[in-house]
Amino acid sequence: MSLLQALRYFFREALVNLFRGWKVSLLAVLTITVSLCLGGTFLLASRNLSQAVERWRAETRVVIYLRPDTSGDDLQRLAREAAEPPWVAAVTPVSPADARRRFQQSFPSLGGLVEGLGEEPLPASLEIRLRGGARPAAFEAWLAGWRKRPGVSLVDDDREWLRQLETLIAVLRGVGFALGAVLLGAAIFTIASVIRLTAYLHQEEISILRLVGATEFFIRGPFYAEGLLQGLLGSGVALVGLYAAFRAVHARVASSLFASMLASDFLSLRQLAFLVLLGSLAGLLGAIASLRRESL
Amino acid sequence: MVRLEHIGKRWDDGAELLHDISLALAPGDFCFLTGASGAGKTTLLKMIFREEVPSEGQILVNGRNVSSIPARKIPYLRRTIGVVFQDFRLIPRKTVFENVTYLPRILGLDQRGQRKAAFHALRRVGLAHRLSAFPPQLSGGEQQRVAIARALINEPEILIADEPTGNLDPDLSREILRLFLEVNLRGTTVILATHDRDTIERAGGRVVTLDHGRLHSDLELVGSEPPRLEPPREEAEGGDGEAGDAEAPA
Repeated sequence: MSLLQALRYFFREALVNLFRGWKVSLLAVLTITVSLCLGGTFLLASRNLSQAVERWRAETRVVIYLRPDTSGDDLQRLAREAAEPPWVAAVTPVSPADARRRFQQSFPSLGGLVEGLGEEPLPASLEIRLRGGARPAAFEAWLAGWRKRPGVSLVDDDREWLRQLETLIAVLRGVGFALGAVLLGAAIFTIASVIRLTAYLHQEEISILRLVGATEFFIRGPFYAEGLLQGLLGSGVALVGLYAAFRAVHARVASSLFASMLASDFLSLRQLAFLVLLGSLAGLLGAIASLRRESL
Repeated sequence: MVRLEHIGKRWDDGAELLHDISLALAPGDFCFLTGASGAGKTTLLKMIFREEVPSEGQILVNGRNVSSIPARKIPYLRRTIGVVFQDFRLIPRKTVFENVTYLPRILGLDQRGQRKAAFHALRRVGLAHRLSAFPPQLSGGEQQRVAIARALINEPEILIADEPTGNLDPDLSREILRLFLEVNLRGTTVILATHDRDTIERAGGRVVTLDHGRLHSDLELVGSEPPRLEPPREEAEGGDGEAGDAEAPA
């Protein structure tokens, strides 16, 4: 029997077994689905968050808040000075009056808070947009220099919270993989149990196969194919579920920052292939584990 | 063809099941293996197709010591030996066709080849018209004939039967015995284990008797009522004499 014939036989028998024992097979498929759905969700969230961080990194700003007594001329002078280094793309000087107007536009319901106080409540600032790419060591020295200047009250560096966000993404990814791995382990165990049960139900047939001269490869092949198919089915269902959930969240991207952070893009083809491969491997591993010590 | 040389078998606890059995069967021999229950008949048969391994001695099948062949080669040995059991060992949820075509499937025959092989094997046992039936739809005698067809499908050199008539009434037993004799007439070496002395005495032939794991006797018996056998027909002659829905091989 050629390998192709054997594979055709294995998968045909595996499909028959799946169909006949669909209830127990469903259990195995669902455990794979749940574990891959969870792993996929974390993968999707971390992918979108990473992309958001990349976008924000490209738009990284440094805001230098100046003391309230800074004059308009000083603001313009400092703005020119701030625009000198090569890593600065643009500098926008924001006067206290501009800052108040922005606040009122951004938070109309709170606009009254900054009205009628006599003097401008918000300080002047320099909004510095940085160029992309790596920051030279001189950049940090430059920032430190601004922090020490007497006319400066605060230097707000976006990269700080981006770093924190990246740490959060790394934690999220780690937790996702850990949870996914635990659930995948459970799925492998379930598949192993299902395959062992199927093998037990086919004991008589296996004894006949052995009696008439079937090789171990021929006897075990259909069970391996069954595990593989359960894994494939489980990962297929997981991807469909994941996509449906993604579409539901993606529909709110325009109106929700949360949705735009988590569901701007679906998983890449490579990531999808990885999940399918993982599910199939889990199924195959389950089958191998279940029959490893079985004399069948 | 089959040669047993000083075969002994001990269980792990030291109990002796077989002791110093020597026996030789030439190609085309027919041999009854008899003895009371527990005499060691089944174990001896299992050793020939390597389901059991002797503790002492060696078993040669076609000059090859089967107890020393590597595990991966056992399937190839078994493809040359047909085995029939008392309890038929048919899969109830599979059709007669599926039950008899395990070996053709293993050998990679296509559907057409499988149907052809099944048709010929079932015609030899007079059941070519029941290809699509399921075992529970058949009588005990028919089920045993399907089991024999399964054993014969690859034209084995040796046919081993362990109490094949044990579950059948006397008429069906005679019918099944005649089948084995016909198979033997075509050149297959047949070893038939039974404790049914009546069957043996009526049929006659070579009778090997085991007693408490020892070879008690090995003699030729003249049958009181030997079955009348028809000479083997050529496959090309066609027709098995059965009416009904016999299907030509596709």
